[in-house]
Amino acid sequence: MIVDANPSITRRGFADKILRRGPLEAIATTIIAAGVVMLMQPFFLTLYSWSLATTLFGTVMFTIVSKVRE
Amino acid sequence: MTSANAAHSVVEPSAVVRRFAGSLVVLYAIITMIPLVWIGLTAFKSPDDAISYPPKVLFKPSLEGFCNLFTTRSRQTPDFIKTLGPPQGLCDSIARSRNMVVAGPSNYVPRFFNSLIIAFGSTVLAVALGTLSAYGFSRFRVPLKGDLLFFILSTRMMPPIAVAIPIYLMYRTVGLSDTRLGMILLYTSVNVSLAVWLLKGFIDEIPREYEEAAMIDGYTRFQAFVKVVLPQATTGIAATAIFCLIFAWNEYAFAVLLTSGNAQTAPPFIPIIIGEGGQDWPAVAAGTTLFLVPIVVFTVLLRKHLLRGITFGAVRK
Amino acid sequence: MNDLSASSRINYQAVMVRPSVERRIRGLSDKALAWLFITPTIVLLLAINIFPLLWTIYLSFTNYRANRPNAPTIWLGTDWYQSILTDPDIWAAMQVTAHFVIWTVVIETVLGFGLAFLIDKKFRGHGIWTTIILLPMMLSPAVVGNFWTFLYQPQIGLFNYVVAFFTSGDASSFQMLGDVRLSPWAIVIVDAWMWTPYVMLICLAGLRSIPDYIYEAAEVDRASKWRQFWSITLPMALPFIMLAVLFRGIENFKMFDMVNLLTGGGPGSTTEVASITLKRAAFESWRTGYSSAFAIILFVTVFGLANIYVKALNKVKSR
Repeated sequence: MIVDANPSITRRGFADKILRRGPLEAIATTIIAAGVVMLMQPFFLTLYSWSLATTLFGTVMFTIVSKVRE
Repeated sequence: MTSANAAHSVVEPSAVVRRFAGSLVVLYAIITMIPLVWIGLTAFKSPDDAISYPPKVLFKPSLEGFCNLFTTRSRQTPDFIKTLGPPQGLCDSIARSRNMVVAGPSNYVPRFFNSLIIAFGSTVLAVALGTLSAYGFSRFRVPLKGDLLFFILSTRMMPPIAVAIPIYLMYRTVGLSDTRLGMILLYTSVNVSLAVWLLKGFIDEIPREYEEAAMIDGYTRFQAFVKVVLPQATTGIAATAIFCLIFAWNEYAFAVLLTSGNAQTAPPFIPIIIGEGGQDWPAVAAGTTLFLVPIVVFTVLLRKHLLRGITFGAVRK
Repeated sequence: MNDLSASSRINYQAVMVRPSVERRIRGLSDKALAWLFITPTIVLLLAINIFPLLWTIYLSFTNYRANRPNAPTIWLGTDWYQSILTDPDIWAAMQVTAHFVIWTVVIETVLGFGLAFLIDKKFRGHGIWTTIILLPMMLSPAVVGNFWTFLYQPQIGLFNYVVAFFTSGDASSFQMLGDVRLSPWAIVIVDAWMWTPYVMLICLAGLRSIPDYIYEAAEVDRASKWRQFWSITLPMALPFIMLAVLFRGIENFKMFDMVNLLTGGGPGSTTEVASITLKRAAFESWRTGYSSAFAIILFVTVFGLANIYVKALNKVKSR
């Protein structure tokens, strides 16, 4: 969006915005929820097969992310 | 407080709305009570009344259900019964009217007794451990406090069946399977998480200044804990104890998977009370009624703290 | 309370000089006491929860069977996980669980929130009626669930009689527990009966946490009651509703006792929720390694949801 700004500053602004606990926790929560839905949905066996990996990834991410600064 | 009075005009619902809301809630309450009332009624029915069609609301009360709950009976010929002396007690005469004699006491009393011992034992342990930990978490800077508290809570969330497999193997190895001690330890470990979370909430509400004042007066930290904090936390400890008691009293999954006879509690026993030709429903209902009455009393005692208990102390009002 | 806070204000002066006070205290330091207080709980939980969990993880990679403890244990790697996660039967059990979880949570949330909304109108005697409504959730799901099998009896059961009475049908024409189509609903009904009060109680707390002045402001702005409900009541009670939904979701995902006594998973496998499948594999077929892997899959799911639950709990706590 900001055309004339120094690109490195823009990037840091972006990282500051995303790499915080709030958004990261929201992403981890979404991944966990997706894993649970995949486990119980009746449509695709493949999704069911990958549900454990997804939930596990989301949970590990949540645990790590909850240590990130606010 | 003041806003509630000021709000009286705008926010308070009108009398019509209140009466309408009230009648709907009362209707729901009555419907929801029917199964419970039916348990109580069935307990006092004779077996014939219990399985009549249409279901009987008015009937001649009978204590046969309770007799069948507490005794085992054997069928005899009328001629043999005539040779016996006069019936001993009410249950014997009821049994004789059905061509049976009382053979001995049933297992209900021992199972009920197991429930009592295991529930009280695990409650005392869980509340004792929980009070100490809750005080520790509430007052001291503990490293990784948040993680430890989450770890403690997450143990309560574990599916009982998933835990039951290794517990079964572990207890078999150390000789705790089907013992009261094993069940007490197991229920303590499930209850302690609730106890820590609930009691931490209660202790957080006691001002630290009380202990600090006591410590200035020369108490050690431990003395301050025993003589200042504990008396202040009595209500919280009592409420927590009742919650733990109810959980241990109601628990079924571990009990049915890990106990068979010696340490079996009432919940897995009541469903298998069988009479001649299927379940003896008046006896089951009688057993259920006796089992539920303490909980009903406790619920009424606990009603102000229920919300706190079911949200692990997070929601207080 | 007022005079207490006055005295604590005086003590606050003393707190300022705390370092010198603490040096004077005999006995254990705070740090030692903290660990002394917390360690027993942690040790108990490690012994009865974490050690068994680690053992389950180990067993889930082996062919161990609890009924043949002396047979040689072979390391299988992730074989069990692969076979469970590609097994259509287990997948079907997960869908039975999903049906149970979704419908119970939906019904309990709608009924529970509705009841809370009505009780919040503070009609006369609402305290007593609230306590009465709360009773079922405190009772043993196993013992009461067992009694529902009696209420569900085709001819003599009260439930069938009442349904037949209102639909002018025949009380013996349907079997709630024996019919493939009805039994999944039979367990939903009992669970909704037991746990609607739970959702109600939490929703009631949510409704009561909304300060009156917001409604007063809305009245001043002439917002309709309908509008007030959608833009004030529901959004502000939402964290509480989420809390109740998550907890009921987790609890019903691992539901065992009530279903085990009502249907035992039957007829066929129409009510075989995940915990019943697990119990059959673990304690009837004694496939310990296999059931351990299944237990870990369920555990990971519950643990993931528990993370979200605690987040929701903290959100409500800050209110």
